[in-house]
Amino acid sequence: MKLNAFALSILSAGVLASGCATTAKGSSQSALMTGSAMQQLKTQAPAGGLLAVIRYPAVVDSAAKDAYRDAYTSSPIGGKISPATADSVEAQNMADSAIVKSNYFALSLYKEMAARLPEHTVLLSPHSVKLADDGSLTSEPITEAESLPSVVTIDFATYSFPDPKKMMNSEPLTFGDLVSPLVTVRTDHRAAVPTQGILLASQPLKSHAVGGNRKTVEKSLAQIEAGNLPTAIPEHDFISFISGDKQSSAPSQGLTLTGNSNAVQSYPVEKLQLNRTAMIQLNGDTQGIADPLKDIFSRPMADRIIDLINDTPVEKAAMMRRASAISQYDPSLAALTFVGSPKADYQSRYNYAQRLLDAERKYLSVQSLRLFDGIHNSEMGAQVRDMLTAEYGVLERRRELARKQNQATALAILGAVAAGASMGSSGSTERRCDRSGRCYEVQRPNYGQRILTETLINASIYAGTQAFAYRGESRAVGDNYLTSIVPALEQQTTVQVDLIDSNETITAIRFEDLREKLQTLYSENQRSLDTIATRCAYAHDGTTKSGTWLGECSGGMAAGSGVGVIRQANGTAIEYYGYTENGQPNGPGYMVVHNPSGSYSLEGNFNGGQANGTMRVSKPGKSDQIRTYKAGQDTGGASGTAKVMSPFDNRLAGS
Amino acid sequence: MRFTFLISLLPAIGASIAWAETDLATDNVPIAAPAYQEFCINVMSGFPNDDQIARYQFFKLTQELGVDSSPMLTSALDYFGDHTVTADTPVMEVIETIANPVLRQAAPELTIANMAFLIDFANVCDSYIAGQVTGLKALNPQLSEAEFNSVISEDALYMRQILSDSLFRINAQDHEIFGPTVRAYADALVTTRDRIEFTKFENDIESIEAIFMTDLDGRLARSNDVINQEMDRETLASSIEIIDEMNAEAKRKRKQEALYTLSRILGGY
Repeated sequence: MKLNAFALSILSAGVLASGCATTAKGSSQSALMTGSAMQQLKTQAPAGGLLAVIRYPAVVDSAAKDAYRDAYTSSPIGGKISPATADSVEAQNMADSAIVKSNYFALSLYKEMAARLPEHTVLLSPHSVKLADDGSLTSEPITEAESLPSVVTIDFATYSFPDPKKMMNSEPLTFGDLVSPLVTVRTDHRAAVPTQGILLASQPLKSHAVGGNRKTVEKSLAQIEAGNLPTAIPEHDFISFISGDKQSSAPSQGLTLTGNSNAVQSYPVEKLQLNRTAMIQLNGDTQGIADPLKDIFSRPMADRIIDLINDTPVEKAAMMRRASAISQYDPSLAALTFVGSPKADYQSRYNYAQRLLDAERKYLSVQSLRLFDGIHNSEMGAQVRDMLTAEYGVLERRRELARKQNQATALAILGAVAAGASMGSSGSTERRCDRSGRCYEVQRPNYGQRILTETLINASIYAGTQAFAYRGESRAVGDNYLTSIVPALEQQTTVQVDLIDSNETITAIRFEDLREKLQTLYSENQRSLDTIATRCAYAHDGTTKSGTWLGECSGGMAAGSGVGVIRQANGTAIEYYGYTENGQPNGPGYMVVHNPSGSYSLEGNFNGGQANGTMRVSKPGKSDQIRTYKAGQDTGGASGTAKVMSPFDNRLAGS
Repeated sequence: MRFTFLISLLPAIGASIAWAETDLATDNVPIAAPAYQEFCINVMSGFPNDDQIARYQFFKLTQELGVDSSPMLTSALDYFGDHTVTADTPVMEVIETIANPVLRQAAPELTIANMAFLIDFANVCDSYIAGQVTGLKALNPQLSEAEFNSVISEDALYMRQILSDSLFRINAQDHEIFGPTVRAYADALVTTRDRIEFTKFENDIESIEAIFMTDLDGRLARSNDVINQEMDRETLASSIEIIDEMNAEAKRKRKQEALYTLSRILGGY
């Protein structure tokens, strides 16, 4: 019986070590689908602008490769990772693979958005991950897509937890039929002041996205103070996240399709399991017809984005980037375009300038379409689909092995329990007495019972060793794939870089030509402006005259429409868009106030730099409120019929 | 006198009412009032009929001349014009008179009267003209080209500018009744000029767009094809073959290990 106990103890240890295997399951329903209905676009693209730009990490600069891999593996989402694992080739392959997958799956979202929104209003903006001047990791757009105004930009990436040993566990994974998308949707901060422009964000990225936009706000203010219209573009939020950039807070709420409460919609990190039929269709699809991500993610995400576009004030979202784009052709006109003007000379010139941006937009949309075509519908896309199919095969094999392992483990446990019970009840006892009269009980062997116990133990040991073997095989299948796929992954990455580089080189050369031609045409056709935009002083409420004004000026002071920026001693920075007199806000205006603790906006009538009349107030975490102000003081709620004097009324009326 | 239902010396208000009444009256007829049918046919017979393009140019030009004309303007032209143009005057002759620089300087009233004749024809016979324009476009799709039409619009604008200048030359802008109409017509010309220039600008941009977009598309497609040829899917296929072999080996090895472990445990036992 001692041997029995020994065998059982080995068995128990084995079973415990082997344990139950998880089968890398994902959710067949995205949180995006909850309460989601097909959304129709209810607004128009801004004049000369876009509705959406989809940004994704497409290329890692060779100098930034190590930094990117290190940052990726040291910022895991959904768990912890040991330094040794983080340094492994397999973990670094996971980081490289995230770029390849982001490139491919971003196109699914693009395809869906482009099909749902008007022609030429959705662009792709692939980002290059590189080292900034200070050596930190950053990303920059490769194309000019973000030089045009857009209502929203979407940062997309797919994610895999960097420890390949946890591939079969619950950690996020983009492999085979599993996809973990990371998304942020942002607009210009002027259109969503309380959240710094962030409308929706994957939970881990939220504070980095808000921080990234806050940084862009700072750059934007500094550029205006230097007399330029801002052109700053935030880095991709996923890169901002892994590089540990500065974070900022903003109120958040769950996913919603009802109204705007000036809070960031929080999107949980999901592990989506793609439809089995669609995965099978991927095999041998050389044309890019099958899109397994469409139903579970791209379509419901597109619905959310369209809903966000519908809720976003289009003109506020587009005004700065448009002014910046126009300033390339006509600096005198640019700062007048924030609020527009009914004057014929302005109207005429503005229409021409807007048409130039339309031409740029259409041209750049060709680039996006060809990027899509070159990656998705060609050999490269076919290879990604082959890769996904192979990964799916790996996962399915591992799932099968996990099931077998679980069955073997269950058998081993059952066998062990049964053997234990059998040992406990083995044989019968007999009472014997010796000559001295002492009596004792003797175990009387029951050979049948003993054979049964031994058989159960042997079966349990066999099942336990099988469970071990399945576990080992499953890991080997995963490791074999990750180590052997490297050449294909490298080739994929190289060709992808070549394609995007070539695409951008060709586009950029012709884009310069196009801009020159447009500039010539514009210059030949322009009539003079009665009033032009210049730079002068902005006095805000009159306590200081150190602010900067870009727009109509008179006697060195702001007088007319434009934009003003001023910083106060307490660290508050103020942006003002609208009408001025003697350097101070006067008439309809839109004031954006950035405190160290957060930002808010006031829209309505101003007198002598102070809010005066019915104002729309946007503060963090609350729906917009209509309030009455007198001499800068909030005197209470305004009646429902009270009209807010918006500086953008001219523009909304079509000017 | 000119072919118009308006009595030229009626006060402006009266003229407006007369025009409105005529409009109401014409509501009952499908094309044009029979009273003007003969006039329309007469004038149109003077249009070129041996060349589709020339015929279209004349009809389109006339149509464009009618833009921005109001009953008040028609009355003003009747009032300031000093010449009778008959329905059988060839339209070419009318246009040449308007374009004649000497007459424009020496006899602006003559220019005004000739323009009034064309504007009147454009208004009264608008259904005939529109029918001809549509019909000719259907026969010759080239006539729908934006650039071709923008040249006609510019010619029409030029002639309307001559009319406006002629009115100003005789100080019609200061006339107590018709002055505001004359000034409004001059302002409308600025807007129209802006519109025509913008249309031309748009046409130019569309041409540039078409060239650049087509060119870019072609270049990118070719580049994509070349670069995609670099993609050797065999690399992945051979990787997968290797992986399959490694997996088979792993399976064999694990089986062996399992047997070894089993035999050790059971052997010891």
